[in-house]
Amino acid sequence: MTAIVDSAPRTRDRLSRARALHWILAGALLLACAASLQVGATNVTLTDLLAKAMRGDALSQIERVVLLDIRLPRLAMGGLVGAALAVSGAAMQGLFRNPLADPGIVGVGAGAGLGAILAIVLGAFLPAWLLGLTGNYLTPFAAFLGGWGSTILLYRVSTRHGSTSVATMLLAGIALGALAGALSGILVYIADDRQLRDLTFWGLGSLAGASWAKVLAAGPMIALAIGAALMLGRGLNGLALGEATAAHIGIDVQRMKSVAILAVAAATGVAVAVSGGIGFIGIVVPHLLRLASGPDHRTLLLNAALLGAILLILADVIARVVVAPAELPIGIVTAVLGAPVFLWILLTRRGLVES
Amino acid sequence: MMRGAKGVAACAGLWMAVTAATAGAQQAADVLSMGGAVTEIVVALGQGHRLRARDATSTWPPEVTDLPDVGYVRALSPEGVLSVEPALILSEEGAGPPEAIDVIRAADLDFVEIPDALTADGILRKIETVGDALGVPDRAAAMSAEVEADLVDAMADAAQPEAEKKRVLFVLSTQGGKINASGTGTAADALIRMAGGVNAVTEYAGYKQITDEAVGLAAPDVILMMDRAGADDTDHGGADDELFAMPAIRLTPAAQSRSVIRMDGLLMLSFGPRTAEAIRRLNAALYAQES
Amino acid sequence: MSLIAEDIRVSYGRHEALRGVSLAARPGEVTAVVGPNGSGKSTLLGAMTATQPYRGRVLLNGADIASAKPWELAAQRAVLPQASRLAFPFSVIEVVRIGLHSGTAGDRAEVPMQALARVGLSHYAERSFHELSGGEAQRVMLARVLAQVWRPVEDGTPRWLFLDEPVSSLDIAHQLQVMEIARAFARAGGGVIAVMHDLNLTALFADRVAILAAGRRLAFGAPAEVLTDDILSRAYGCALRVSAPPPDGVPYILPHAASA
Repeated sequence: MTAIVDSAPRTRDRLSRARALHWILAGALLLACAASLQVGATNVTLTDLLAKAMRGDALSQIERVVLLDIRLPRLAMGGLVGAALAVSGAAMQGLFRNPLADPGIVGVGAGAGLGAILAIVLGAFLPAWLLGLTGNYLTPFAAFLGGWGSTILLYRVSTRHGSTSVATMLLAGIALGALAGALSGILVYIADDRQLRDLTFWGLGSLAGASWAKVLAAGPMIALAIGAALMLGRGLNGLALGEATAAHIGIDVQRMKSVAILAVAAATGVAVAVSGGIGFIGIVVPHLLRLASGPDHRTLLLNAALLGAILLILADVIARVVVAPAELPIGIVTAVLGAPVFLWILLTRRGLVES
Repeated sequence: MMRGAKGVAACAGLWMAVTAATAGAQQAADVLSMGGAVTEIVVALGQGHRLRARDATSTWPPEVTDLPDVGYVRALSPEGVLSVEPALILSEEGAGPPEAIDVIRAADLDFVEIPDALTADGILRKIETVGDALGVPDRAAAMSAEVEADLVDAMADAAQPEAEKKRVLFVLSTQGGKINASGTGTAADALIRMAGGVNAVTEYAGYKQITDEAVGLAAPDVILMMDRAGADDTDHGGADDELFAMPAIRLTPAAQSRSVIRMDGLLMLSFGPRTAEAIRRLNAALYAQES
Repeated sequence: MSLIAEDIRVSYGRHEALRGVSLAARPGEVTAVVGPNGSGKSTLLGAMTATQPYRGRVLLNGADIASAKPWELAAQRAVLPQASRLAFPFSVIEVVRIGLHSGTAGDRAEVPMQALARVGLSHYAERSFHELSGGEAQRVMLARVLAQVWRPVEDGTPRWLFLDEPVSSLDIAHQLQVMEIARAFARAGGGVIAVMHDLNLTALFADRVAILAAGRRLAFGAPAEVLTDDILSRAYGCALRVSAPPPDGVPYILPHAASA
């Protein structure tokens, strides 16, 4: 028996499994999209509408509104936000070299939230021309800036000489989250009634506010951020060996880190801005994928985008049918599904935080 | 005073029964009512049978709780709202999120927002708006006159000489030892004044977390809280001990005399047909303790 | 075509780690850098691999590395760090494959397995890297480095291996194996720069030896010329006796007990 012949095919297996997963997940995403359009509080179903369209019957006003103005933008938003959260989780974990680094856990989400709250409360004080210029983009953009600032700060604090201290990162994340929370609290205090109402809508972590205007405002930024993150695969693989080694194998580490931080901040920031805090997608999705097909970031990032979109779309379906006609905040659904997985990671891999 | 309150309640009940009987029962149930006061008004106008669904804050009268619940009025799901197939939506001010309301308005139905105001006139205007929307303006006018007289009566009875007015601290919650109290401009503030009291906190507007020392400075004679159980006979002894043991409250006159009033939140804060009753009850609770 | 370091200076705050060290290494040879702890030998390697900010000049195959892009350097040379940590549960073969594309082997899929076989670990290809012992991990990293510059000479240009204490966590058999690999790479036309701790292994495998002490170069030349009682005792600050037993006369260093 020669070891080379024996193990070479198995070696390819993990990579080809990851590549096969691209297609499997893409198929599953289509199914999730169909499910999301099929079910809801009303008895409008996609299959009925398709049958109607085939027969050439006109759709009723309600049917059109439900399908085109409610379910479709909500589906688009869910897919975008889910992909954004999962990809930024995977990219951030690669950047920090730790599977526990999730934008939500280490304070990036809180920073983005602070940006969004700033925009909601203080946006009114901006000069009119600037407001006219930013329009719908003001809140997502402010959230992006908040996320960006906190990611850079976090990296500065927790990374010395090219290696990241996980304990420092988690502690800095707690401090950052507390600081952002406190500043947000001050803003809430000075907010007037209407702004408070806006904040309440925003903070519930829901896709109920999805609209085409929001999708159009958030979509391009999220797509750009995901696109940039997908380019990082080889660089993040190298970074797994440390910054010095990454440079030795030909990666422009500084540039790669800047791109990763920008992409994470943009994806997280915009996702937070349009949907409030939705937790655990960023940590659960990459972890499951690493178990299934290995940690190679060249395939992991794309798979994370697909699985993140699938999970959030399905979580949203759950959120809007279990207590219909009311609905659960989707953050509750993802937390119920995600928190146990997070604990399981901690239980089965105790060495993570110390290493 | 208690006798008066009971009398009015009895009258209102009789009147409701009569109007309900005369109302045309043939109309379809196609109204979604959102907001506690709005729903109370619909039922009081004898239109309860037209209700198709309600929001989470609509819990009075008790029979409306059997209706499907579309959730919290400020976090609506547009499809959830449309799924109950309302032809008319009556909504209190501030329903949201705005995007959801835009979509709901785009669907083929009537959406009427009922203006909110924390005054007797505000309540009357709510009644008239709801009556117009439901196509029963005469009934609304009658009810409005009735409610107005009742309110005027209740407020006149409740009036106190300035010097004898009690200082009332409305506590929204004491979660985690932090006291969230009402400042000015709130429903609680308005009701306290209508019931012949003085809001102990006037330094800020809205419901906010208040520091322990500010509670001391406010020197409330009475603490007013929401009774979440909604029952009068619940034993609050333990809760009272806990409340008066809080450092902020321990030194206030209210704690010395162990004065705490608990009332149903919807009754107190919704500013609807039962506000006169709320005024009477609060007034009675405030000033009956003297003797 | 060579590696030239000219007047390299590095300081950490006010501490001067390197005070003007020059070095010229030729392809076809193993050039060892030795010296006591803190003498600056790893710092010198860091400067020569652009890992470490420095003043002075480093020419690799005639080009100044300061103006070269990371991927251009990666095609010319590979670097084995002293210790390697790895995030995420990559398998051994995946680790060897990381960075393959930046090297000269390009997409040649068989290279990583051959590199693993070279260090005697091809049967570990599917293992998780985290399950390996320190010595095995060190050899896997060597395989990764070898895969990056698989052919010692490409288009007539030598490739370079920079090894920072490559045998520090290995048993004697694997120490010899790794040094043999390094020497074979040099004999095939590549260049090897190795920071070494073990003077006897250095004497056995190095073609040229640079001895550093306190941030300065004390001596540079063939092992027999520089590994002497006098130079080593000065470099390390303790009495050392070098003998060159027959048949090959390779220097052999013994500590000289101060009390004896």
